[in-house]
Amino acid sequence: MSAALEALALTKTYKGKRVLDGVDLTVEEGSVFGFLGPNGAGKTTTLRLITGMARPTSGTIRVLGQDVATAGNAVRAELGFLPDVPAFYPWMTATEFMQFAGNLFGLEHRVLKQRTGMLLDTAGLAGVTGRIGGYSRGMRQRLGIAQALINAPRLLLLDEPTSALDPIGRKDVLGLIDSLRGRTTVFFSTHILGDVERVCDSVAILDRGRVLTQAPIHELKARYGRHKIVMEVSEGADGLAAAIGERPWAVSVARGNGGSIEVTVSDVQGAQHEIPGLVAAHRTGLVRLEAGEMGLEEVFVELVGESEP
Amino acid sequence: MRTALMFARKEAFEILRTWRIYVLPAIMVFFAVTGPVLAKYTPELLGAVAGSQFASLQLPEPTVFDSYGQWIKNLSQIVIFALIIIYGGIISSERRSGTAVLVLTKPVSRTTFVMVKAAVHATYLAVLLVGGTLVTWVVTAVVFGEAPGGALWSSSLIWLVMAVCYLALMTLFSVLIPSAAGAAGAGLGAFMVLSIGGIWKPASDYSPAGLLERAATLATGEGADFPFWPVGSTLVLSLGAVGLAAILFRRKEL
Repeated sequence: MSAALEALALTKTYKGKRVLDGVDLTVEEGSVFGFLGPNGAGKTTTLRLITGMARPTSGTIRVLGQDVATAGNAVRAELGFLPDVPAFYPWMTATEFMQFAGNLFGLEHRVLKQRTGMLLDTAGLAGVTGRIGGYSRGMRQRLGIAQALINAPRLLLLDEPTSALDPIGRKDVLGLIDSLRGRTTVFFSTHILGDVERVCDSVAILDRGRVLTQAPIHELKARYGRHKIVMEVSEGADGLAAAIGERPWAVSVARGNGGSIEVTVSDVQGAQHEIPGLVAAHRTGLVRLEAGEMGLEEVFVELVGESEP
Repeated sequence: MRTALMFARKEAFEILRTWRIYVLPAIMVFFAVTGPVLAKYTPELLGAVAGSQFASLQLPEPTVFDSYGQWIKNLSQIVIFALIIIYGGIISSERRSGTAVLVLTKPVSRTTFVMVKAAVHATYLAVLLVGGTLVTWVVTAVVFGEAPGGALWSSSLIWLVMAVCYLALMTLFSVLIPSAAGAAGAGLGAFMVLSIGGIWKPASDYSPAGLLERAATLATGEGADFPFWPVGSTLVLSLGAVGLAAILFRRKEL
């Protein structure tokens, strides 16, 4: 599979402050890619560089096989973009803006009319005839997503697409993104972990201008899941948890409901060998012992926490 | 080319659907209607206000050329000021609001963005000028009973060249200065420089600095020569300013 988007050693400095620091990214064509990071991590700056709205201090970006710095209209013709706060001409209606956007892409009148109707319907704006100046932020966000799809882009770039939406709007947008899987490459930035976990194939976690990790979601969870053991004993869970907590491989021990104990470990093999002995020494019955899976939120907190100075 | 036309269409609709369709036309129509009337009745008004104080002062009988001169004077001062203030945000307002990002992430080059805006608004100024001059012409004919066209139209067209030059300068300033007020300030500074420069004869003869004065001279109907040098240098300055604006805008980060 070829890369729809590649960033290599990307840096961006504003007034002496390094906002992006050696960012490497590879987004496979047809995938739904989550670009996750806390506020101020550099997500919007990265998107500005990808769209050519700003220039990197160093490094290169290739979009659909072409260098963004030199490709110009050829690349933009295949992109769809939703900024974090989409701004429209307040005197236009939604239909007029869609037609304006489609005309800039050179779409035929028949195709444009058909897509405008379909996309406004999908965005929940069918039949809304008022001028955009009177729209709520959620309506603008949905129109922003609709206009980003008007040219049936090969690469759809979305900056915080669900941030202004109510739960139903958010669910609809995530459903829409999910439906594009395999047809369009979707790259979306967000700080909402649940959104990424729900629709993304791969994720990159950005913090203070650096990519901490990039991997398919299942691989990321598995990678960190190996560091967690979940067990359940029939009785004496508190004493056993205290004993486990004294072992050198135990990073943290948390008691769950009933007899369950959750252990984050630094040496999985050591833990697997010693835990049965500890259970036996405490004369308790082992109900369950398994490698637990960390959620994306825990992975995110762990990675971002680790990178704190 | 189609992209440029579509963007030009958007600019035209923006003029028609926003305050732009009212402000400059209202100012121009006001002066087009009141200018000839004031020119005709100013001596009588002065006489009525001053009473016997100016009894010894003999004011000349007003002519159609006073009406034309009034029109050009208003265009050269108040309308140019209004133009400078209105177009302070011709580029920066779209940058600041974020609409430029939505347009420029589509297959619209930044050069097209700048050139089309300048071209559409230059056309708009030309339409306004023709409309305003027609009104002046008709009202002058009604008030004075005659209205020869040559002096009025030639002086108005000279003014248009200068107005387009100010529009081009505002396009450049609006790229350079993110705030509309700041760009307007720079535009007023350019107006002062050109006005003062007009005092120096070589600048007046060959540069845009002398153009508004030439327009005023043509309006008097004294048959002055067509100011080829100032018109030519003004057109070159206009094209240069818009070209530079396009080059600088391509380098700007949005």
